[in-house]
Amino acid sequence: MSLLEVDGISVSFDGFRAINNLSFTIEEPELRAVIGPNGAGKTTFMDIVTGKTRPDTGKVLWGEDNLNLIGRSESAIARAGVGRKFQKPTVFEDQSVRENLAMAIKGDRNPFAVLFGRRDDAARLTEIATEIGLFGRLGRKAGELSHGQKQWLEIGMLLAQEPRLLLVDEPAAGMTPEERTQTTDLLKRLATRHAVVVVEHDMDFVRRLDCRVTVLHEGRVLAEGSVDHVTQNPEVIDVYLGR
Amino acid sequence: MADATLTGPATVPPIRRTSTMIFLAALAVFVLLVTLLADAGMISTSTVKLLGKTLCLALAAVAMDVVWGYTGILSLGHMAFFGLGGYAIGMWLMWARTEAIVLADMAARTLPPTPSELQDAIGSQIFGVVGTSDIPMIWTFAHSLPLQLAMVVLVPGLLALVFGWLAFRSRVAGVYLSILTQAMTLALSLYLFQNDSGLRGNNGLSGLQNIPGFETTSQATISIAFFWGSALALGLGYLLFAWVVSGRMGSVLRAVRDDEARVRFLGYHVESFKLFAFTLTAIVTGIAGALYYPQAGIINPNEIAPVASIYLAVWVAIGGRGRLYGAAIGAIVVSLLSNWFTSGGAPDIDLGIYEIRWTEWWLVLLGVSFICVTLFAPQGLGGLFDLLSARRRSGRRASYGPDTGAKRPEEGAE
Amino acid sequence: MLRLLLALAITLIVAPAAAQDDLQAILQTHAEEVANPGRRSVGALIDDLLASDLPSVPVFLDAWQDREVVRDSRDGRFFIAGDEEDGVVTLLDIANGDEIGTAPEAALEEVRPNGGVRRVIGGALVQFRLSDPDPRARQRALASIARRPDADQIDPLRASIEEEDDAGILAEKERLLNILVARFGATTEDRIAAIEALAGEINPDARAALSEILRTEDRVVPAGEATDGNVAGTLSLPRAEAYGRLVDAELAPPGVSPAEIRDTLLANVEAGAVAGTRLADLDTDTARHAAYERLSETGRAAPFVSDEEIDAAIAAHSFEAVFLEEDEAVIDAARATLGSVERQVALNRAADLGLDALSLASIYFLAAIGLAITFGVMGVINMAHGEFIMMGAYTGYVVQQFVPDYTLSLVIALPLAFIVAAAAGVAMERLVIRHLYHRPLETLLATFGISIALQQLAKNIFGTQARPLTSPDWLGGQLVVNELVSISYIRIAIFVLALAFLGLLLFILNRTRLGLEVRAVTQNPGMAASMGIDPDRINMMTFALGSGIAGIAGVAIGLYAQVTSEMGANYIVQSFMTVVVGGVGNVWGTLAGAGLIGVLQKLIEGMNPSNTLAAQTYMILFIILFIQFRPRGIVALRGRAAEG
Repeated sequence: MSLLEVDGISVSFDGFRAINNLSFTIEEPELRAVIGPNGAGKTTFMDIVTGKTRPDTGKVLWGEDNLNLIGRSESAIARAGVGRKFQKPTVFEDQSVRENLAMAIKGDRNPFAVLFGRRDDAARLTEIATEIGLFGRLGRKAGELSHGQKQWLEIGMLLAQEPRLLLVDEPAAGMTPEERTQTTDLLKRLATRHAVVVVEHDMDFVRRLDCRVTVLHEGRVLAEGSVDHVTQNPEVIDVYLGR
Repeated sequence: MADATLTGPATVPPIRRTSTMIFLAALAVFVLLVTLLADAGMISTSTVKLLGKTLCLALAAVAMDVVWGYTGILSLGHMAFFGLGGYAIGMWLMWARTEAIVLADMAARTLPPTPSELQDAIGSQIFGVVGTSDIPMIWTFAHSLPLQLAMVVLVPGLLALVFGWLAFRSRVAGVYLSILTQAMTLALSLYLFQNDSGLRGNNGLSGLQNIPGFETTSQATISIAFFWGSALALGLGYLLFAWVVSGRMGSVLRAVRDDEARVRFLGYHVESFKLFAFTLTAIVTGIAGALYYPQAGIINPNEIAPVASIYLAVWVAIGGRGRLYGAAIGAIVVSLLSNWFTSGGAPDIDLGIYEIRWTEWWLVLLGVSFICVTLFAPQGLGGLFDLLSARRRSGRRASYGPDTGAKRPEEGAE
Repeated sequence: MLRLLLALAITLIVAPAAAQDDLQAILQTHAEEVANPGRRSVGALIDDLLASDLPSVPVFLDAWQDREVVRDSRDGRFFIAGDEEDGVVTLLDIANGDEIGTAPEAALEEVRPNGGVRRVIGGALVQFRLSDPDPRARQRALASIARRPDADQIDPLRASIEEEDDAGILAEKERLLNILVARFGATTEDRIAAIEALAGEINPDARAALSEILRTEDRVVPAGEATDGNVAGTLSLPRAEAYGRLVDAELAPPGVSPAEIRDTLLANVEAGAVAGTRLADLDTDTARHAAYERLSETGRAAPFVSDEEIDAAIAAHSFEAVFLEEDEAVIDAARATLGSVERQVALNRAADLGLDALSLASIYFLAAIGLAITFGVMGVINMAHGEFIMMGAYTGYVVQQFVPDYTLSLVIALPLAFIVAAAAGVAMERLVIRHLYHRPLETLLATFGISIALQQLAKNIFGTQARPLTSPDWLGGQLVVNELVSISYIRIAIFVLALAFLGLLLFILNRTRLGLEVRAVTQNPGMAASMGIDPDRINMMTFALGSGIAGIAGVAIGLYAQVTSEMGANYIVQSFMTVVVGGVGNVWGTLAGAGLIGVLQKLIEGMNPSNTLAAQTYMILFIILFIQFRPRGIVALRGRAAEG
């Protein structure tokens, strides 16, 4: 059954149609790659799902109860189980790796619960830190990490949130080939339990993910199917791959 | 090292705990010293009052640091809460003292006064200066110390809650928010300047240094008592805020300061956290004001003019943001220096052709030094302590703090 | 007296010596009437005087009315009495005021016309003055009639209208005639016609006349009974006042106030008690009432009037306002006309308020536009902007110290203020702000440091008292549209200045290379830099422009307010709000913001003119709420750029 159903959303900025009657569905678990040229509406699509941008028309339905996410705040959507990883690693550089992860660990987000709640995260922290290979650097400030380590920290924070849907924006950007392999494995592993949407530019990376691909163009779905299927679609070749 | 810190409440960075201990110890020594010196007659009552007031300002500055240095909200209206706290306690002080005077005055009469005669007499005593003897609604609870003490907390708290809710809800942030808070304090002070505001217009409340029930106690004793009270409030306030900014709450607040959009995607309702910090600091600032004005003796709407709140921010900036002790040190150093210069304590400098009188040049000096601190020492005075402690710490040091955190796109657009 | 001298002067020129004899001759004919005039019989004498057409007649009438005429009992001739010294009075010629001799005081009889006669004389005089060849004298006569309108003035006024050749004065006369007829006209038809003719008038005289017709007196009537006369309405008075009127009308016994109770009790203290109650127990109103009641039962105090009795007395009467005017048709006409006049007045007041608002908006626009430019382009809040305004104003003041000609000094001061403030702005940008880009909150505080330093410097240099910036004469005075609508020329000049800068800025931003680059930097600094635009240079130019305009605004503000070291600080918060309300980075936004704030402030002031503090408070509250609904201001940039 579908976890997220985007139904006929449109949004325009000053007359420019960034998203044009876009519909999109993702199952749980599922791994999906979203590709498209610049300005195809990939980022806007993620902004709408995460509540940052409100569409002019359309619905975004979530979960078993078909909850409409439109009009909910970013934080409410995040708590509902939508996690987002940004293209540029955004971690809190002034804070230690531990603090970054502790903030992300799933739990009550109410200010008073945060202030008074004294819960024991140590085990979970260790587990995640080990998984992302930063166990030895828990006390370090995030700003002192290398670019790749920051990427991993952000993925770790995403995991700590325990989302049902992960929106991942260009995860492989700036990674070494070795790290790319690790990332691919991690995403595939995650996709066995979660819904994962990967927005990617890099065709090789998408090929390695070996999953269903959605091609966006001018704010709408141009094609959908396996990697081989979409790469043979003449329209796709025309607007994207051909160039 | 990692293993050692993994167990236990690992989220409290040790440096903060140490700094809290040092600060409280220094405060205790200072209090003892001042008490002994005052007892020995080596410092005057007015100096004790000045020091007591300075401690209250330090408390306000610590609160300001939490809201600005930690949460990233540059409030240019926190002195409004300070003033409201002062007004709240001032109402009781003035009422109770006037009541005592009126009662003493009427005791000699053949007929004992009726309650309404008493009210009328108090009313005309207090409100005679604004040409009325009617007692405004807001003075309903002025006769009761417990109720007015509740007002000290409730009035600034509610104002901050309502204002903050409105502002944060519509995602007003950055300099916009600063201007909005400035507008708030301007509106409040203009309102209080009116005679029919019910708080005696530009006359304000006066005679607050006379504490009802302690008419026979000397001002020397009262000043020491308030000095202790202020020190206690500063100590407790410092502890409270040190606790708030440690742990996960502190983590979230600093995260809000550095990248509030990212915090939202982590599932935190940013507005609630801002509102929490804004309201809590407003309440503490109100309490600081309630302790300040009995020592100052008078409060009027000038005290909550926008410039007062900017000075509060200046103290915090000079002391060093993001460090509670920095804010306290900044407030103490700058306000004492300011007092020394403006009261003519500093010797004038004769340049032959021109004599620099510090009463005239102090503000120029303050302005210039403030620019220099912002430009060359964004860590402020507190940064000096960091240099000391940095020597003891291992590893690379880098600053990702509030100095680089406030990013322009966030500010300009939202 | 001045009038008299003037008339004398004229007489001296025109009147031949013979005329004097003629006047004296007429007076001698009616000698008894002059010396001892009666209200009814004086008419013949006046008629003769008027018929003589002698220019000296008004001089005499004036003196006669002012009781300055004396009669020499030795020969019966009339003179005007001059100065008296040691019992000897100087005699002045009755026609031209020449000294023509002296007489002992005892030989002179004073001529003292009574009130009725003096009114008749006054009527005759009015006719003279209304036909005076000097138009200013005629205007003065009209003004004096308007001050003390009177039924007797109708005929002379009407008579003088026919000969009037000055169109302005003619209109004035006709208006005044309408006012007089409306109040004192002989027939209902006349009055109604006159009242209706007043419909378009908005000046205070006409309104005063109409409200005079509609004047009412308050009467107390037993409830249910009708009063005679035209009832304007029933009054609902506050309890205390209503009872007070009943007491005044002797329809109810006077109430006993708490103070009277206290005094009565005090007067009846016997052995530490009053009427059996110990003094110490008399500390509540109830106890005091009880004691007072006991006193009044034994006749030692006036009966106590209870609240119930007061209420009953008030309920038993109705308080009505009754028109003094008896003619119902006239009342109706006056009511209708007053209504239309008041609508007219309200419209004109609104127009006047609109002009005020417009000029306030111009000032806010001038003060804020520089701030808006720097904020929009660089995201920098300049707290020292107000001090640039101050610098401009002081520049104007200093220029006036060297260039005494106010017009010339203004011509020099405007560009000089721009240069001085722009230079200061550039210096600040180079030395401070450049190092703080992308840290807006710190820029805010650093510029605040500059602001306090500059303010104190200005205080040290120019002192604390306000310095005048005098405007040239051609900017003095005001443009008067009518009695209610006027605007001072300075405000018009500021409005024109604001318009000029609006045009100039629009031109710079939309039609020049600099404007293109500025817009590029505003919208996307990174992209602009990659296209070869030097953001450093743009920032500097922008700052120079923004600060320079602040300097010019300073001269403008200094002209109509005063120059003090704090003048900038007084405008800075309003300027911020103008920028924030209008929306950042847009000239039209600032215009809209200035317009909204200016109009709003005047509107709130208009509703409660006595309290400008309250007006400002409410305006700021409104702005705080406004930001809730339009966080990005009136003219908001939309799209991805704005979302950052």
